[in-house]
Amino acid sequence: MAEILANSLRFHVHRLPAADPGSGAGATAVFLHGLVVDNLSSFYCTLAVPAARAGHDVVLYDQRGHGRTERPPAGYDIGTSVRDLTALLAALGLGERPVHLVGNSYGGTLALHTALARPDLVAGLILIEPPLNGPWIENMLDTLSVAALGLEGSQVPRELASLGARKAARLTATADELLNRTTLIDDIAAARPFTPEDFARVRCPVLAVCGEHSELVPGVRQLARHAPQCSVRVVPGLGHDVLQGGTGELRRAVLDRLAEAARQPQVVTV
Amino acid sequence: MAPDPTAEQILADITAMLVETVGDEFLLAEEVTLKTTFNEDLALESIEFVALAELLQQRYGAAVDLIAFLAEKDMEEILAMTVGDLVSHIAGTPAPAPVAQVPVDAHVPADAQVPASRAVASAPAG
Repeated sequence: MAEILANSLRFHVHRLPAADPGSGAGATAVFLHGLVVDNLSSFYCTLAVPAARAGHDVVLYDQRGHGRTERPPAGYDIGTSVRDLTALLAALGLGERPVHLVGNSYGGTLALHTALARPDLVAGLILIEPPLNGPWIENMLDTLSVAALGLEGSQVPRELASLGARKAARLTATADELLNRTTLIDDIAAARPFTPEDFARVRCPVLAVCGEHSELVPGVRQLARHAPQCSVRVVPGLGHDVLQGGTGELRRAVLDRLAEAARQPQVVTV
Repeated sequence: MAPDPTAEQILADITAMLVETVGDEFLLAEEVTLKTTFNEDLALESIEFVALAELLQQRYGAAVDLIAFLAEKDMEEILAMTVGDLVSHIAGTPAPAPVAQVPVDAHVPADAQVPASRAVASAPAG
């Protein structure tokens, strides 16, 4: 198992080498998944394998408490998540050359925070349905708290397991552990939304992709107004499910962006 | 130098990797055969397939171009495969030689198309 120790935590990391590493023409893309029921596998077929085939080095990892990474009781705040990521990049020997961060949902929020905290490490951002400001924290907390109450002391995982519904049993057990036995909900509650001043400080190129019907569009529009190099792509007919529902269009946009970035010389902003 | 693995050896390898990936409490009840499907029979989660892919990469290296094999599939299609589909792909590509023993001129393209039957039927002894 590809386990990497970083920031005192064992992370499950999966790397896909570029299909044609000799050319040196590829970018390095690091993928950041969303919260609670998500893990690195949602990127595997959708974006990661295609990016590796297109000649880019790909790094996937399960974030703290998610997937096959260790699940400590605390440390789910954004500052710790940024430190997890930067420590992981260092452990992988990627601390020298800036990488492209591709984040889905809360992974996009983490990507933007990282670009602001460590601009020296980030060459570009691709944000898929990122919650940035507005009522998202409150809405997400409501959803998570309701889910947490529903799972508290519940026999559902055990019942599902006895029915042979192994996948559903494990998924609900993971959600129960994260929501009821870690500080995740409190840590998310302590997050503060991005401000226009934050957006104005983003120095690297940003591509933001949203679903037409997503409540996150206004935040992304505001990002585009203030960030010096931000383009927005709205996928028609979709809401928050752009990664799964709009895979084809998203994949073309991501591969175009990575190819474009790989053609340009790396400029490190310190 | 090890001979190309036979389908039987590959199946045993993959079974061991599945046990390592999901734990044997589940798999003991289930005999893994070439006809076993990842989803319906093993209820493998997407992330467990990725973990299995990692182990396959470590075991067989670049000679088995797993990425090319998976490139046109989505996760649903991958999990709908049988263990035998994966075994056939691995058997159809040359076995990795231990690095220290590879002669400089022994380059075999990763995408070389070798019939699946070759490794199974007549594994060369060297």
